Amino acid sequence: MKFKKFALCAVVTAAFSTASTMALAETIKVGVIATFSGPNAIWGKQFREAIDVYVAQHGDEVAGNKVEFIYKDVGGPNADASKAAAQELLVREGVKYLAGFDFTPNAIAVAPLTKQAKVPAVIFNAGTSAINKQSEFFLRTSFTLSQLAQPAAQWAAKSGAKKVVTAVSDYNPGIDAEAAFSSSFEKNGGAIVEKIRMPLQTTDFAPFMQRIKASGADAVFAFLPVGPATFAFTKAYNENGLKAAGISFYGTGETDETTLDALGDQAIGLVTAYHYSAAHDSELNRSFVAKLKELHPGSHANMASVGAYDGVDLIYKMIKVAGTDGQKAVEAAKGLEWESPRGPVKIDPVSRHVIQNVYIRQVERAADGTLINKEIATIPNVPDLGFNP
Amino acid sequence: MTNATDQVSIRRKMGRLAPVLPALIVSVAAAIAFILFPYDLAFLTRIVIMMIFVLSFDLILGYAGIATLGHAAMYGCGAYAAGLVSLHLASDPLIGLLAGAVAGALIAWISGCVLLRAQGVALLMISIAVTMVLQETASQARWLTGGADGLAGITVSPLLGMFEFDFVGQVAFVYSVCILIAVLIFCCILASSPFGLALRGIEGSASRMRAIGTPVYRRKVTVYVIAGAIAGIAGALAAQVTGLVGIEVFNFSLSADVMVMLIVGGAGRLYGALVGTLVFMVVHHIAAGIDPFNWLFVIGFMLLIIVFALPKGLISLPDRLVALLRRKP
Repeated sequence: MKFKKFALCAVVTAAFSTASTMALAETIKVGVIATFSGPNAIWGKQFREAIDVYVAQHGDEVAGNKVEFIYKDVGGPNADASKAAAQELLVREGVKYLAGFDFTPNAIAVAPLTKQAKVPAVIFNAGTSAINKQSEFFLRTSFTLSQLAQPAAQWAAKSGAKKVVTAVSDYNPGIDAEAAFSSSFEKNGGAIVEKIRMPLQTTDFAPFMQRIKASGADAVFAFLPVGPATFAFTKAYNENGLKAAGISFYGTGETDETTLDALGDQAIGLVTAYHYSAAHDSELNRSFVAKLKELHPGSHANMASVGAYDGVDLIYKMIKVAGTDGQKAVEAAKGLEWESPRGPVKIDPVSRHVIQNVYIRQVERAADGTLINKEIATIPNVPDLGFNP
Repeated sequence: MTNATDQVSIRRKMGRLAPVLPALIVSVAAAIAFILFPYDLAFLTRIVIMMIFVLSFDLILGYAGIATLGHAAMYGCGAYAAGLVSLHLASDPLIGLLAGAVAGALIAWISGCVLLRAQGVALLMISIAVTMVLQETASQARWLTGGADGLAGITVSPLLGMFEFDFVGQVAFVYSVCILIAVLIFCCILASSPFGLALRGIEGSASRMRAIGTPVYRRKVTVYVIAGAIAGIAGALAAQVTGLVGIEVFNFSLSADVMVMLIVGGAGRLYGALVGTLVFMVVHHIAAGIDPFNWLFVIGFMLLIIVFALPKGLISLPDRLVALLRRKP
């Protein structure tokens, strides 16, 4: 009996002492799963640099805990690697938060793990609406295509477009963009004269430009993945005389800051609806961009940077309230509002996706000669319009 | 004299043991890995699945001498088949594996009938094309495959009705190792059978084999279908363990990686496939863990060194060492 009591005492004191030391100085690990190698390495690079900036500005200590980031490369869209990386991070490293996720399959593959381990996963990019309903531990600080394409449609209707042809890459995000734009544009009294779906691998867009011209539309809404395809598309748009023929261009992420310089003068005048512009006029954004340039000269802040920056901000906020309690952290995140470099943001308590302003931007040359996405109008507080629980 | 007969009898005994030996080696190695690295089972499971996949490629490249760059076609079809079966028909993992094997064999048969008539570069090109067509099909058939978002929500019921797939990945690891052992025993038997010898003959000189009456084309299609079934099993395993199939299963880089792993290990040797996969994936994992941004350099250098120093792969290292030592005195 005596021994039992003693043992109990020992256990209790041990538990208390570890609990108190834990509260004092615990290292909370955050696992970042993204693409750091191969053709899509730009995602991981942007994520890491933005995290560097955030840590440089805010330190690596939250409420007495040290925050440590562990990076895992999955080399592109690869569900197998993503799940194995998450499993390793959770089981061996004991991470309390997951983050990153550039591609949709990579995020969906870890959904069951987040539920089993009760670990919040903050998505920095992957933008399919369906992701967040896969696990109640998913939070997202990027955008969805419905969130952007519907405001783009409203703006097109408002600025006088009557007949629009949609031209999207033939894969899931493209189809999402097409659906969101079409339904919203028709609701606003416009007509969709043709829906063109272009193969993902296409780099010669001249035939599609002919179809756009022949359709008699007065505007084109385009969605292509950022990269060579976008580059070739905007080039073809100018070279085939669509701009000269008065067919205006509406898009979303086509004028991404990392590829804008490569597009050059032909990008000037392109109108896009997007949730972030590196030229956003706010004190916070200026300091974010300046710090990024200081730490990583030659880098450009873009939507991936701001997604990671706000994602880490959200993780810090969750740690402050809930420490390592995943369930509590997600509850705390719901409805959270704060000021981000992109403008005011709020986590939707239902979809756990970020509610944010969508800006209508036009590409122009800034005073210093660089190309920027100049914000010309704001559609405030847009939620994920494609979310259906 | 007695010495020689002794040796012969030992060889005979070894010959009888041959199919059991690899199973023994793999299970001992797996058990050691299981005990030493209890936190890395997810990664180890990926290695085991990849081993099965590389073994299947060894049958066609190493044994029959058919060089393709489209082996991911069978892997991907197996993965989708297993995923679809578990989503719509039955969630038993073994039924999923069967579906994967059938799908892999089927696509290998259909594509093999065409592409095995070609040779050399043409064969490489057609095999790449087959995989690309399949990838495009998977991307377009959104109603069936989920397109670029992937086929999500695959769940499998407990193995044999008893062992539930756990969070740490113990069951998944043991399950994959068992399948690997079964595949390895099958490949050993196949390699030493008359059929396996015919394949080696075809690899050496197809025209001579034709001259002695071997139906070369039919043998090639047969081995292609068998390899396809095994690749399908590997894909099915991956689908069950990950719970999601993306269109990336048809990526060209997967087909290329498989070839690299086999060359690193040593083509035409079953253990070569295992060693190559192990070394490639472990070096990849460690290098990517130390420096997630520049690890490709390490892989590149490793490949260069191995290809120059050991053209027949890592598995030839002991033979090379012995040869070197003998030459010295």
